[in-house]
Order: sequence, then structure tokens, then C-alpha cells
Amino acid sequence: MTAIDTTPAPTGVANDQGPGRLQTVLHFASRQYLVAVLVVLAVAVGIAKPSFWGGGNIENVLFQASLVGLAACGMTLLIAGGLLDLSVGGVIAVSAIAIGTVLPSTTIGGAIVVALAIGVGLGLVNGLLVTYVRIAPFIATLGTLYLFLGLAFIWTSGKVVPITSSNYRAATTETIGRVPYVFLVFLVVAVAAYLLLSRTHFGRTVRAFGSNERAAVLAGLPVARAKVLVFVVAGLCFALSGVFMAGRLSSAEGNMAMGFEMDVIAAVVVGGTALRGGRGTMFGTVVGSLLFAVLANALNLLGVASYWQYVLTGTVLVVAIAIGARRSAAAEVRGAG
Amino acid sequence: MTETVTTLTAEELVAAERDRSAERARRADQRRRLLQNSGVLVPFLIVLVVGVAVVPNFVSSSNVTNMLVNAAILAIVGYGMTLVIAVRGIDLSVGSAQALAACVAASVVNSAGPFVGALVGILVGAGLGAVNGLLVTQARVPGFIATLSTMSVFRGLVLLFTGGAPIMIASAGFKDVATSSLLGVPTPFVIAVLAGGGMWFALERMRFGKHVVAVGGSPEAAVDTGIGVNRVLLRAYLIAGASAGVGGVLLASQLGVVNGSISTGLELQAIAIVVLGGTSMAGGRGNIVGTFVAALLLAMINSGLNLLNVPSFYQYVALGLLLIFALSIDGAQRAAVRRMLEGRHS
Repeated sequence: MTAIDTTPAPTGVANDQGPGRLQTVLHFASRQYLVAVLVVLAVAVGIAKPSFWGGGNIENVLFQASLVGLAACGMTLLIAGGLLDLSVGGVIAVSAIAIGTVLPSTTIGGAIVVALAIGVGLGLVNGLLVTYVRIAPFIATLGTLYLFLGLAFIWTSGKVVPITSSNYRAATTETIGRVPYVFLVFLVVAVAAYLLLSRTHFGRTVRAFGSNERAAVLAGLPVARAKVLVFVVAGLCFALSGVFMAGRLSSAEGNMAMGFEMDVIAAVVVGGTALRGGRGTMFGTVVGSLLFAVLANALNLLGVASYWQYVLTGTVLVVAIAIGARRSAAAEVRGAG
Repeated sequence: MTETVTTLTAEELVAAERDRSAERARRADQRRRLLQNSGVLVPFLIVLVVGVAVVPNFVSSSNVTNMLVNAAILAIVGYGMTLVIAVRGIDLSVGSAQALAACVAASVVNSAGPFVGALVGILVGAGLGAVNGLLVTQARVPGFIATLSTMSVFRGLVLLFTGGAPIMIASAGFKDVATSSLLGVPTPFVIAVLAGGGMWFALERMRFGKHVVAVGGSPEAAVDTGIGVNRVLLRAYLIAGASAGVGGVLLASQLGVVNGSISTGLELQAIAIVVLGGTSMAGGRGNIVGTFVAALLLAMINSGLNLLNVPSFYQYVALGLLLIFALSIDGAQRAAVRRMLEGRHS
């Protein structure tokens, strides 16, 4: 009951801030709806298991949300452009292994730069395959997922690479108060990605070819270049997630992020970015990442077998898309809203 | 006088143009067939020759049997995938569906006997395929994302079903199916050839096959022609699930012991052999024979790498490269056909 009482509050905020145009209000309200779900869930879990709000646990949730969220920022840009990248797990593994390998001989900053450069390189491979070899994004990146995983396994000979530098571990897992440092990085990246998508020429190009590629080409936009670039930016985001994941696990190995692409895509789609492309909501992605982190944490606290998380993530993803499909079908009937 | 002459010439011009475009279409088709067949046959022959020449024990009878059984299981899953890709869909959940079918089949074999077990395994596969089909047709979720989700869901279910522990199959009769042979040919291979023949017949000689081609070629046009597009899609996904089930039963029989994490990454192998076999990702064309040959090719590559003691992770790389190669061929083939149809100057 207490849980339900929290729902009206965000809606009230929506009404106050609504600038009058019906659609903007509706959009804002639908975002707030997700926030409401998040608040209800957090309160409900907090009542069922008071340890949820305990010191270590909330940091844990924020950390988990940030790892998924950092990668999800890049994925939101891709999905807004009507693209997709399933090679997240491969990029994270290779960049994290790079950190583990070069760290003994370089500074922390140097290692992070190497990891990010690898993310850029692997993103470039994906981008070139999709743009110039003209392979459908999800299938090209499914191929490169296994390619990158294979490279990661070959590089490590299938072993675990330990991160021996305690300074690196401390730097990546540091907290300010109860908020992990990585969460702040995540918020900064999310804001940067938002500005990139909605306030720059590049972002406008991405949204343009996301909603209608042929029209964007005919309008003379640099579609091919922007397509490659958006994969590169996404690769950078995935590598950044790998940087913190390596510090968190204090090790790196080939299958450290197996199946991570599901969590990332689910966070983006549940956040409200439609798979058909053309628009993306970074705020939704942040909320979606938090939602899945709280959900996973709740299942852990309640002692549910971890296998249920596979079932749950998949179900939530497919339900979110089915609802989105119904909604957009309705919008089409109403006309060019 | 002059008027009739010009009309004649105009008609002649039209006729000549029609002939030329027919000729272009014919040559485009020839070129497509050439590319389509060379896409799988050239690598097949190269790998075969290299395998026989370089790899030790490649043609030993036990290795040949092993390759044929592996190829058979892969090919059967590939047939279903061929159908789904031909209707412009994709099924990423085949690996998880096969694992669930194999584990359920193994557990039922232990409690109710081999025949019931095999039947239940196939039915489980068909049921999972129907779930995918309903998500695509009724919930209007795009195929790749629906099956990406069910890939995760089915994997979770099989891990819950087994509780993470392996299931040993007690029935010797069930395990013999994969190792037995008919007239010197391993039984699974015979099953794969028969299933392939059936699928080929359904795709090339039956109304269902024409509907598949129509839906894959242009779903909008298929709707306008009065084809029950949703029914065709649902059947395609159902058959893909059922063939994953058959593959799962054979796999359980081959392994004798199954667990929740078998068949991970099968979707990539299945897609790779289908595309390599000449089924276009653009839909509208299914090539069952190509899928069958490509399954043999992939089984040879895997077996060759194993015999050469190449670490298993190189197989990931080989598979990734093979898939990208196949997709590039597919893209080049489509571009070639487009160029031929449009002529040089356009």
C-alpha cells in the first residue's frame, strides 16, 4: 500500500513542468511512469528486505546499473540510428584483457587509454562491416561477437588475467559518500550522449537515417560517415564499461561479459527507445539501467535462483517491445503525429 | 507511309528491348546461380582436399562417422533456419531451444522410455518454435529481438529444469541411435538426408514453399495476393523449433549425457551454414541443398581444427570469419544481380 502512495508524486511533477504541448506532456508522463515503477520497486524491495538500503548493497546496485548503463549509452545512440550491436560482450572482454595485460608496465591512465583505443578500433570494424560490406547490423555484430571473443580467448589462452595493481582497483571502485565514482562517470557520459544525440549535427544525422535512411541519403546527409562514427562511439562506451568491470572483478577473461548485450539492449528498450530508430531517450536509458539493477538485486536478496534472471530479462524485453509495437501501431493510425 | 514505318520500328524497338531485358535477366540468374553455388562448393572442395591431404586421420572411419553425425545434427537445425530466413525472419533461439529439448528428452527417456522421450523432445522444440512464431505474428515483435529474448528465456528455463546438473541417459537403446548405421551410413545422417528431401519437396514443389517465397520476397505483396502471411510465418518458426527439437534429441543420443549449457552459440553456426548455402538474408529464396552442403563443410572445418589440436577458441574465430565471408558473398551476389537487371547505364 505504501508502495502505491508514491505513484502520484512524479505525475504531479509532470503536470507542473509540462510546457503545454500535449505530446511533450505525454512523453514526459511516460518517462515518469518508468520512474514511478522504479520507485515502487525500490520501496517494495526495501520493505521486504530492509538490507536493500544497507550501506554496501545500494553501492552495489548503483555500480551494477552504471556498468550496464555506460554500455547502454552507446547502444541508445545505435538504436536511435536504427542499428544494433550484439558484440558488447566481446568488446568489453578484449578491452578489459588489454588493461590486465598492459597494466604492470604502464600507468593507470595509459592502460585506460589503451582499452578505450581498442574499443574505438573494434567499433570501427563493426561500423565498416555494416556500412561498407552492407551486412545487417545484428548479424554482422553477432559474427564479430564471436570473432572478438575468440581473439580474447586466444590472447589469454583461455586463462584469467588478474589485475594486480591495487591502485587501479581502488581508482575504479572508489566511492564518494555512498555513490560510486563510476555512477558519476555514467551520468556524465549519459549527459554527453544526450547532447551528442539531440544538440549536434552528428546526432541529427543519426536520428535522420534512423527514421528513414533513404531520405537521409537523398537529403545529402553524410550517412555512411555518421554510421561508422556511431559504431565507434558505441565501441568507446562499451570499452569504458569494460574499464570499470575489470576493476570491479579485479580480473579479466574472455567470458567476463557473456550475455551482457541482452542486459544492455533490455535497459535501452525498457527505457523507451524504440527499436525502429529515429529517436532515443538517454533519461529513459538511465532509468532502465537502474530498474534492471534493482530487479536483479531484489532477486538476489530474495534468494531466487540466478537462472530466473535469464528468464526475467528476456520476458521483460519482449513484453516492452510488444507494448511499444502496439503503441506505435496506434500512433500510425492517428496519422503523422 | 512514314507513320506505319515508325510504328513498326517502335514495336520492333520494344520487342528488341524486351528480348534484351529477358536476356539480361537470364544472365543475371545464371550469374546468381554461379555465385550461389560457388559460394559453398568452392570452400567445400578446398576444405575437403586440404583436410584429406594435411590433416592426420581425417578420413579414418571413426572420424568420418563423427563428422557425418555432427553435420547431420547441424543440417537438421539448418533446415528450419533456412525456412525462417527465407521468410525474412531469423531464429536466434535455436541453441537454447535445442538444449531445452535435449534435456527434457533425456529426462523423459529415463522415466518413460526412448520413443516417448524422442517424441516429447521434438514436441518441446515445436512448442518453443510456436512461442517464437506467436511473438512475431501476434505480438508484432521483430523476429531477431523476439528470438534474442527467447534465447535468454529458454536458456534460463533449461538451467532451471536441470538445476545446473548434468542428466545421464540410462537407456542404451536411445544412445545407440546416434552410433548405429543403416547400410554403412550413420542413422542421423540418413535422417538428415530424408528430412532434407522432405524440406526440399515442401519448399520447391508444394504450395507452402511458394507461399514462403512470396512472403519472403515481399510481405506486402503476399498480403495483397491473399496469402495468410501470419500462418506462413507461424509455421516457419514452428518448423524451426521442431527441427531444433529433432537436433536436440539426436544430440542427446550422441552425447549420452546432457546439461543446461549445451548448444551455446548454435544459432551462429546455423545462420552461417544457411547463408553460406546460398539462402539470401534478404528473404524470398531458400536453398536446402546448399544448407546441407554447408553443414558438411562446417563439420569438416571443426573436425579438422580438432584433429590438428588447434585450441577450441580458434573455432570461434573461424566461425565468425566464415559467417562474415558468407554474408559478404550474399551482399555481392545481390549487388551483381541488381547491376545485371538494371543494365550498365543506370
